[in-house]
Amino acid sequence: MKKSVIFLLICSMLLLSFTAFSAKENELLVYHWWTAGGEKVAIDALFEAFLEKYPEYSIVENPVGGGGGGLMRSQIKTMIMAGNPPDTFQITYGTGMIESFTSVLQPIDNLMKDFNVPQDVMDWGRVDGKMYGVPLNIMQSNCLWYNKEIIEELGIQVPINSVGELYVAFEKAKAAGYTPLAVGSGMGQGYWIGTLYEAIVSALPNGGEVLNAYYAGEVVPSENETLVEALKILGNIYNNGYINSDFSALTWDQAGQLLATGKAAFFVMGDWTKGLFDASGLKSSVDYGYQSFPGSSLFVGHADCFVLPTGVDSQVAKDWLSYLTTAEAETVFCPLKGATPPRLDAPVEGIYDSIALEIMGKFRDPEVTKILSEFGAPPEAYLSLFGTFFSEFFLEPEVNAAILENFDITYEEVFLY
Amino acid sequence: MKRNLELLFFLLPVIILVAFFVYGFIGWSFYTSLTDWRIIGVKGEFVGFENYKLLFTKDRSFKAALFNTLKLSAIFIGVTMPLGLALAILLDLGIYAKKVFRIIFLLPLSFSFVASASMWFWMFSPEIGVINSFLRLLGMGNLAQPWITSSSQSLWCIAIAYVWQFSGFATLVYYSGISSVSEDIREAARIDGASKFQEYWKIVIPMQKPVTLTVLVILLMYSLKVFDLVWLMTGGGPGRSSEVLSTLMYKTTFSRNFFGRGASIGIVMFVVSLIIILPFFVRRRRSDYE
Repeated sequence: MKKSVIFLLICSMLLLSFTAFSAKENELLVYHWWTAGGEKVAIDALFEAFLEKYPEYSIVENPVGGGGGGLMRSQIKTMIMAGNPPDTFQITYGTGMIESFTSVLQPIDNLMKDFNVPQDVMDWGRVDGKMYGVPLNIMQSNCLWYNKEIIEELGIQVPINSVGELYVAFEKAKAAGYTPLAVGSGMGQGYWIGTLYEAIVSALPNGGEVLNAYYAGEVVPSENETLVEALKILGNIYNNGYINSDFSALTWDQAGQLLATGKAAFFVMGDWTKGLFDASGLKSSVDYGYQSFPGSSLFVGHADCFVLPTGVDSQVAKDWLSYLTTAEAETVFCPLKGATPPRLDAPVEGIYDSIALEIMGKFRDPEVTKILSEFGAPPEAYLSLFGTFFSEFFLEPEVNAAILENFDITYEEVFLY
Repeated sequence: MKRNLELLFFLLPVIILVAFFVYGFIGWSFYTSLTDWRIIGVKGEFVGFENYKLLFTKDRSFKAALFNTLKLSAIFIGVTMPLGLALAILLDLGIYAKKVFRIIFLLPLSFSFVASASMWFWMFSPEIGVINSFLRLLGMGNLAQPWITSSSQSLWCIAIAYVWQFSGFATLVYYSGISSVSEDIREAARIDGASKFQEYWKIVIPMQKPVTLTVLVILLMYSLKVFDLVWLMTGGGPGRSSEVLSTLMYKTTFSRNFFGRGASIGIVMFVVSLIIILPFFVRRRRSDYE
């Protein structure tokens, strides 16, 4: 009896010691949320290219899909709090989101020499003057997608140049029995209504300045004419019956499928939608088209980045982040993901299709103002709190005193307490 | 004495583990709820009961979640228990193909929550869901409902899924309770001229009190901390219409980084559970002694 107890104890201790010291020096433990479609193909290709360049390393990846990275971030937080962070992980590249993590991240300015990206995009990753993330792919959020067959059938001229013209197009689509605008905010993802709201703000006069101030916590929403006007437009879109009735049961990609299958005419969503349409067998510029949200001359967007957690001092993690700053890495990843490479000197000719090149053209045009989106600019709490706010607004979409009070309280909750 | 020491030796690891991982962490959560912890990896300042004050005064999501949790528990228990009892009686009556029905009643219990959530999500989807499609097929499209996309129906949809999942459990426990009623007692009733209905109403059902208490406590404990089906079917929406305390705790803690306030929601859940369940345990303890 005694012997078996001692034997069991020794076995347990051996097992514990193996678990505790199992991390290898040349192994990169990486967490990301790219688990399906073009995103997965792109990250797999990137890992392969990295290992080709550094054959002495190996990669242990832990993809955690779902919730636009929300589930993965939750998991990372518990790992960090338990004092066991991975070597690197993905977060949204933007001051607000990065600031939510800076207490557990190392600055990486020394790894980002000769990183040739627009200055304002560089600043998106800086907190208190220090750089914390390597952006890998730039995404535009204020995009309007349309089903070309429906547009041609209804005689709608594109590009649509204002919100007023968009209403007219919506009316035509509605009269013909189509869902004018596909929206998906189900499974607690009310922040996709936030993407629509943000696109509307970007189309209003001074929309860029307002968005910057709004996401910096510098406004009183109910007292800002642009924000209130955008809320009214959002309410009108719902009240006029332009949105699919099951929007709160659909995820963003299911809503995108309404356009892909010819049930909806328009879809307001980031440029990652292109990957969804391409994966559905649709041909870019033939079956579906793109333009910036009508009336908006801004490039509202964000990026995904990888970061270096505090306490991680492995060479493999530093080499990984340095590799991500190269045009080579961006050229492997971005075409497959369907995103814009952040570097201004990354090759583009013959690699990207016409829609990707159009988006890239706006990104590289110094005259186009770049605005950080809701996914990167405000603190992380914004997505969840305003997801609920917008979802609740769509239950009774009237801009009245109660909703404006709720707007202010939710905003206060994000920034003040 | 030696025997007691031996017992203590074997129990000690468990006692230490339970004390640390259960009671230790309840204590730690309580302490966390008294701080303004908002930054990952950096402990917050002690703020007393500020988080609780915020919850009960300013946080409208909390009030909605508390109300929804209690409402969901009431619907869930109010339907699952009578349904479980009725199905157990049906089985006891020796219905046709009893074994097949026993499997049918128990099958939902073996489903994972993710599988049942996906299934019910597609049942209740307003456009392409099974229920509305079936109604349209029968020419009764006017009866189609918005289901989980409606703020007034979403919680009911979740409750139906929970009832479906747990009615098999209630049936199983009640059936074992009914089976343990002595045949002598039932025969005596029959000899005295009791009808089948009277036999169940006056003899079998009243003898299920201890079983009812067990089912009630287990279902209550579960319903007060429901998370899975709510999270997977509606995510707490639309708006706050199906938000429950556990989903709000998760969002507050991990999506909003209010770690202190998230912990205070957890403590409120713990206290609500204690307030509701403790009287049942006390009553059960008393009846054990009696």
